[in-house]
Amino acid sequence: MRIVNILKERYITAAIFSAFLLIIVFSPALLADTTIVSDDTSTSRSAIDSASAVITSTGSETPEMATSNFRTDRLNALVFMVLFSIVILIYTQWAKSGKEMFVRKINGLDEVEEAVGRATEMGKPVLFIPGLQELDEIETIAGISILGRVARITARYGTPLLVPVRYPLVLAAGQEVVEQAYIESGNPDGYNKDMVRYVAGEQFAYTATVNGIMMRERPATNIYMGAFFAESLLLAETGNAAGSIQIAGTAQPAQLPFFVAACDYTLMGEELYAASAYLSREPLLLGGLKGQDWMKILLVILIIVGILLISIGYGDWYIALFTSV
Amino acid sequence: MKTTVPVIIAFLSGLVMIISFFFSSDTGFIGRLEPEILSWVTIVGGFTLLLGVVSIVRVNYSTVKRRKEGWGYKLATLISVFVIAIPAIIPPSWSSIFGVRPGSIYDWLFNYLDAPMMSTMFAMLAFYIASAAFRAFRARTTEATLLLATAVLVMLWRVPIGELALKNIHPGIPELINTYVMNGANMAVQRGIIIGAALGAAAMSLRIMLGIERTYMGK
Amino acid sequence: MIWLILAYVLLALAGIFLLYLTFRTGDRRFIYLAVAFYVIFPVLLTLNLPTEISPEVRQLYEAVEALPDSAVVMLTFDYYASTLAETEPMSRAALHHLFRKHCKIVTMTTIPLGGPSISERVTRDLAEEYGKTYGIDYVNLGYKANYVAVLKGMGSSIEAIYPTDNSGTPLAEIPMMSHIKNYQDVDFIYVVADNGIVDYWMSIVNAQYQIGVGSGVTAVMAPKFYAYLSSGQMTGMLGGMKGAADYEQLVHHHGTATKGMAAQSLVHLFIILSVVAGNIIFFMERKKRGGGLQR
Repeated sequence: MRIVNILKERYITAAIFSAFLLIIVFSPALLADTTIVSDDTSTSRSAIDSASAVITSTGSETPEMATSNFRTDRLNALVFMVLFSIVILIYTQWAKSGKEMFVRKINGLDEVEEAVGRATEMGKPVLFIPGLQELDEIETIAGISILGRVARITARYGTPLLVPVRYPLVLAAGQEVVEQAYIESGNPDGYNKDMVRYVAGEQFAYTATVNGIMMRERPATNIYMGAFFAESLLLAETGNAAGSIQIAGTAQPAQLPFFVAACDYTLMGEELYAASAYLSREPLLLGGLKGQDWMKILLVILIIVGILLISIGYGDWYIALFTSV
Repeated sequence: MKTTVPVIIAFLSGLVMIISFFFSSDTGFIGRLEPEILSWVTIVGGFTLLLGVVSIVRVNYSTVKRRKEGWGYKLATLISVFVIAIPAIIPPSWSSIFGVRPGSIYDWLFNYLDAPMMSTMFAMLAFYIASAAFRAFRARTTEATLLLATAVLVMLWRVPIGELALKNIHPGIPELINTYVMNGANMAVQRGIIIGAALGAAAMSLRIMLGIERTYMGK
Repeated sequence: MIWLILAYVLLALAGIFLLYLTFRTGDRRFIYLAVAFYVIFPVLLTLNLPTEISPEVRQLYEAVEALPDSAVVMLTFDYYASTLAETEPMSRAALHHLFRKHCKIVTMTTIPLGGPSISERVTRDLAEEYGKTYGIDYVNLGYKANYVAVLKGMGSSIEAIYPTDNSGTPLAEIPMMSHIKNYQDVDFIYVVADNGIVDYWMSIVNAQYQIGVGSGVTAVMAPKFYAYLSSGQMTGMLGGMKGAADYEQLVHHHGTATKGMAAQSLVHLFIILSVVAGNIIFFMERKKRGGGLQR
C-alpha cells in the first residue's frame, strides 16, 4: 500500500522510472548494432569476465562509431543524463510550489554556527579552507558556496575570517563571495581584502604555510570544505594540536578516514555537495537534493536487477548496456 | 545584468561541453569543441597566475615593510618567489642555466631544495598518523571496535613481519583479508561513496548550469 | 641474528616507554621520537624482508611479461616529488622489467612541478644501466598542460600534443616515434601516479581505446582502485611501498622499496601498539568513571 501511495503521489517520477525500465528491457534489440563484440570470449568465462574482455581487448576491429559523428556508444550516458535532469527539474518545481522537503540531519553542518560562535567568544579567528583544487573542480565550487554561508555568519558576529587559498582563480572567487556576504549581512566595513589570501601554489608549501598560520593565529574553528589529498591529516592534526574545533567535508574517499579520525565533524562525499542546500534551506536547492536521492534509488534498483540477472546467467546484455562510455 | 550574464555564460559553456561529449572529435566540428574549450581554459588560467603573484607580494610586502612579527620569514618568501621564477622565465637560448630543462638553475633548485622539502612534508604524515592513532582511535562503540580490529588486520597484512605472523596463525588469513576485506567490504564502500559523490557533483553541476546555485558568485 | 632480535626487543620496550611518557605528559613529541627510531634503525641495519607477492602485483607483472619483446609501452610519471619514496621504486622496477624485455618505452608526465625532471633522471639512470639509446629504445615526451586534452589528444595524434620531446627535439626526427603515432600503436600503458589522474587514464584511455592499463599508486589511494581491478578495467596494481617491494622481488631487483619494508613493518607494529595502548587507557579511564560500552 505504501508503494502504491508513493506511486500515486509521484506519478510523473513513476512514469519516468517505468519508461527507463522499459528501455532496459527492450534495449538489447536497440543496441545490437552498436555493441562491441570480442572474438576471444571463452565459454567458461563468467558474464563479468566477458564484459571485461569487451572493454580491454586490444586486437578487435575498429568500432563503427569512430567513423560516424554521433557517439552511439554513449547513448546510455545520454539517456541517464536526460533522465537525471528531468528528475532534478521535477523536484525543483515541486519545491518551488511549496512542497515540504525532508532532509536528514547532518551534524557537521548544524555545528557550523556554534563553531563560529565559539570563535567569537574566544576572540579568535575562523580558518576556512576551500580545498586544494582549481576553481573548475566541482568540489571547490561546493567549498566556495559554503564559504559564502560561513562568511555571512562571521559577518554577523564580527568574527575574523582567514581563507588561505592555493590558486589565483579561487582567490578571486573567494574574495568576491566573502565581500558579497559581508555586504549582504550589513557589515561591509568588516570585510578586509586580505581575509582571502593566496599563499602558495604547491601542495606542501601551501600546507606548511597553513600549518604556520594555525600555530601562530590559533584559530578557534577550522573548517575544511573541498578537495583534499595527502595534506588532510597534516592540516587536521596541526589544527587539533592548536586546540581548534574542526569541521571537515570532502568527496575524496581516500582522505575521509583521516578527517574522521582527526576532526570533530566530517561530511562525507555527497554531504559536501548538499551543504549549500542544507545551510540555506532554499526550496530550489532542497528540491535538487531530493531529485538526486531518487536517482540514487534508481541506481540501487539497477544494481540489484543486475546482480539477479547475472546470477541466473542472463546478464551479458545488461552489462553491455552500461559499458562503452 | 551582473548576475544574468555569468549565469548565461555558465549555461552555454556547460551545454556546449555536454553536447560535444556525444560527438566524435575525429570527424565533427561539434566533437572538437570540447578539447578546444579545454585549451582556452588553460590559456585563461595562465593569465590568472599573475593574480596569485600580486596577492603573495602584497600580503608579504606589507608585513616586511612594517617589520611585523615574523617579517624575516616573509622576506625569505618574497626572495624565493623571484629567485626561482626569474631564471625559469629567461629563455634557455641565453644560457643553459636558464629555463626549466635539466641543468638549469630551476632544475637544480627543484631537485635539491624543493623535492626534499616536499618529501619531508609528506613524511611528516607518518608521525601524525601515529599520534592520531594514539589519541583518536577509540573503540567507543561496537562499530568502532569492528573498524579498529579490521584496521589492525590490514596493517599487519601489508607488512612482511605482520604477514608472517598472520600466516603462522593460519596460512589462509592473508588471502582472506585480500578477498573479503579489500575486494569485498572496502570495494563496496568505495563504490558507494564514489557513486554518491558523482551524483552529488552531477546535481551540483546541473544546478550551476541552470542558475539555481549561485553562491559561488557571491549571490 | 641474536643481536638483531635483542635490538628489536629493546626497540619494542623503548616504544612502550615512550607511549607511557606521552600518556603521562600529554606531549605527543614522544610518539614522534618513537616513530623516528623505528624508521632510522632498520634503514641503518639494511634488513631485507621477503614479502608474499600480492595477487594484483602478480597480475600486473604477468601482463607485462606477456607483452611481446619490443612492444611499445607508455610509462607515465604522474607523481610529485613528495611521494618519491613510494612511487619512484615502482617506476624503477617497471623500467627494469621493460628494458629487460627490450620494450620501446614512451615516458610522459601530467605533473608540471618536477614531473619532467623526475622522468628524465629516473629513465636516464636505468637506460645507462641497460645500455639503451635515447630515441631508439626510449623517448621522454615531457609535460604538456591540460591533462584531459593531452590524454584525449594522444588518441588521435601524439605528435599533435607533443610536437617535440622534453629536450625540444621534433618528434619527426626521433626514429622510435616514426611508427608510434597514437594509442593504436601503444601496446600497454603503465601509469605510476599519486593523484586522481588514474581515473582519467581509465575513463578516457582504457574505456575509449581499449588499451590495457596497469597502475602503481600510493598506499592511501590503492583501496579506491580495487573496484577497477575487480571489473577487469585495470590490469594489475602496485599499492604503496609494499606493492613496489613485491614488484622488485618479481623483477629480481631489490631497491629502496624492499629496503623500506623493515621500517614500514616496525612503524605499523608501533601504530598498532599505539592504538591498543590508547584503548587500554581509554577503557581504564572509563571504568574509573563508571561508564559502559555505547550502543
